[in-house]
Amino acid sequence: MYEIRFHGRGGQGAVMAAQTLADAAVRIGFQAQAFPYFGAERRGAPVEAYARIDTAKIRTKSQVYRPHLVVIMDASLLELEGPASGLRPDGKVVMNVAQRPEELDLGAGVDAECGTVDASSIALETLKMPVVNTAMLGAVAKVWNVVPLDAILEAIEDRFGGKLGRRAGMLNAEAARRAYEATVVGRTQGKREYVQPKRWLPVWDEIPIGVSLRKTAHVEEEVGPATTYQHHTGRWKWSTPLYKKDKCIRCLRCWWSCPDAAIVRQDDDYMRWDLEYCKGCGICADICPVEAIDMLQGARGTWQ
Amino acid sequence: MTRMTSMKDVPREDMLTHGHGACPGCGYAATAKNIAKMLGPNTVVYVPASCLVVFGALYPYSSWKTPYMFTAFENTGAVTTGIKAALRRRHLDATVVGMAGDGGTFDIGLQALSGAAERNEDVIYVCLDNEAFMNTGIQRSSATPFGAWTTTTPVGLEVKGNRRFKKDIARIVADHDVPYVATLSVAHFTDFVRKVQKAKEVRGFRFLHCLTPCIPGWRIEPSKGVSINRLAVDTGMWTLYEVENGVPKVTYKPKAMTPVTEYLKLQGRFKHMSEADVRQLQAWLCAKWRAHYGEEAPSPPCVMPGHEEVLAHDGDPLYGI
Repeated sequence: MYEIRFHGRGGQGAVMAAQTLADAAVRIGFQAQAFPYFGAERRGAPVEAYARIDTAKIRTKSQVYRPHLVVIMDASLLELEGPASGLRPDGKVVMNVAQRPEELDLGAGVDAECGTVDASSIALETLKMPVVNTAMLGAVAKVWNVVPLDAILEAIEDRFGGKLGRRAGMLNAEAARRAYEATVVGRTQGKREYVQPKRWLPVWDEIPIGVSLRKTAHVEEEVGPATTYQHHTGRWKWSTPLYKKDKCIRCLRCWWSCPDAAIVRQDDDYMRWDLEYCKGCGICADICPVEAIDMLQGARGTWQ
Repeated sequence: MTRMTSMKDVPREDMLTHGHGACPGCGYAATAKNIAKMLGPNTVVYVPASCLVVFGALYPYSSWKTPYMFTAFENTGAVTTGIKAALRRRHLDATVVGMAGDGGTFDIGLQALSGAAERNEDVIYVCLDNEAFMNTGIQRSSATPFGAWTTTTPVGLEVKGNRRFKKDIARIVADHDVPYVATLSVAHFTDFVRKVQKAKEVRGFRFLHCLTPCIPGWRIEPSKGVSINRLAVDTGMWTLYEVENGVPKVTYKPKAMTPVTEYLKLQGRFKHMSEADVRQLQAWLCAKWRAHYGEEAPSPPCVMPGHEEVLAHDGDPLYGI
């Protein structure tokens, strides 16, 4: 039995990637299953997807806790959690990052063979979208020899072609092939300690009468009204706004239209971007009448 | 508190703060943020089951600085009534606002909405209309426009997308003889500010109907939501009007009518639409244009003979308003 865990962000196609890998395994005679796990948020929120591959019928239905292979589709996920936790001693890692494997730190106790590839750039070049799932599957084929590249390409062409049209299938297969060529294989050794933050979920007898949760500080965080400032949703972004103050005419449209209240209106009506919370949607750049905002590829910075 | 007449007067402090979990580019969040901001701190917010619950308040966190409450899907009208009654009983004066989605307004919450409107409760009811049940994964509602793909109106070999035209909820609410009904669009800033300000001043049942783009549900680029809202008004898919004490008034009229294809081509949910379907939608829009703006729609794109039989409005002067 092989167990694979994909870590991605909503919209990057982790679920489709797990399904396609299982599909490819079935094509070469294995039995397989694939299923996702995510919370209530949508695009940009951390998502896990699992696949199991075996020669016999698979009766396990749980999530994957001890993976043979971990696929990390977004480098920023390293800041949130230890994606490589529970990796088996002989396990392998595939990661979407421009660095070499030796430069990565996936957490204390991780000493594994690792393939890295800049899948985001490949996806943007071939698909014109930052959807990295198929490129990551190409990298998987290079690092992990259980499912060969041919089977993966066939599965991609069938699944994506059937869902999105033949041309999309071809392009996605092309992305996988290019990522296979570009993947660098090495070893990664981790030193960092990942600490899971303590979560306090008040139960009924801890809540004041009237069952309303007031703003309360607890252990390391606050709960109650106006406490989501502790969620730094800026880590979701694929692109970052660049504000050119000299061009700005102070029409306030960007401030008005920002869904995340990440644009702060100064006293003189010029703007500042709080990139800790900006999700990089690009509405501000789209709506700006004087092109004072550009969208740069990639996530960067905290304030501007 | 001065009257707000333009974006410049809108306060800087957010009542729906950053860090919520909406998709990048969410029109729902932008609209809710701006309405909450204008209503100010002396507000009680009620939200039924919708995306706004999921991204705005995940226990034990909340993005709202105001008191906030959430119960089931279908009772926005009933719960806001109850909150207002409780405040009255305790001699407190605060604005009570219910922010429901289109599913919770058009379909599942219609009876509670109708009850609250008929009793003329002193609450603001905001319908954030993204034209389907998006939170549960894009199922059609009676707000879904003609031809749109959803998971329950899929694109098949015989039938492609939704076969019904959008229900005119604002007209249904206006027929309850409530003091104020208005339609809003987040892309029309000044109009938006003016209408929310008016709703804030009036006592009685106030209904605001907002068009809010949905990135995954409409299959659009995250950056295009606001531009698409502007196009919706220019093509006639959305009309900005208000009904004050029974007197309807159009508050913004596009200079020219944009062909509906401009609106459709930006959205993946319409990309399967056939020539005949687009013609049918355009004919419906031309009839709507005439009813709302009281004049014939300009000849391109409206040069289709026999569009009278598409929607006969039997000379009702209030048709569609």
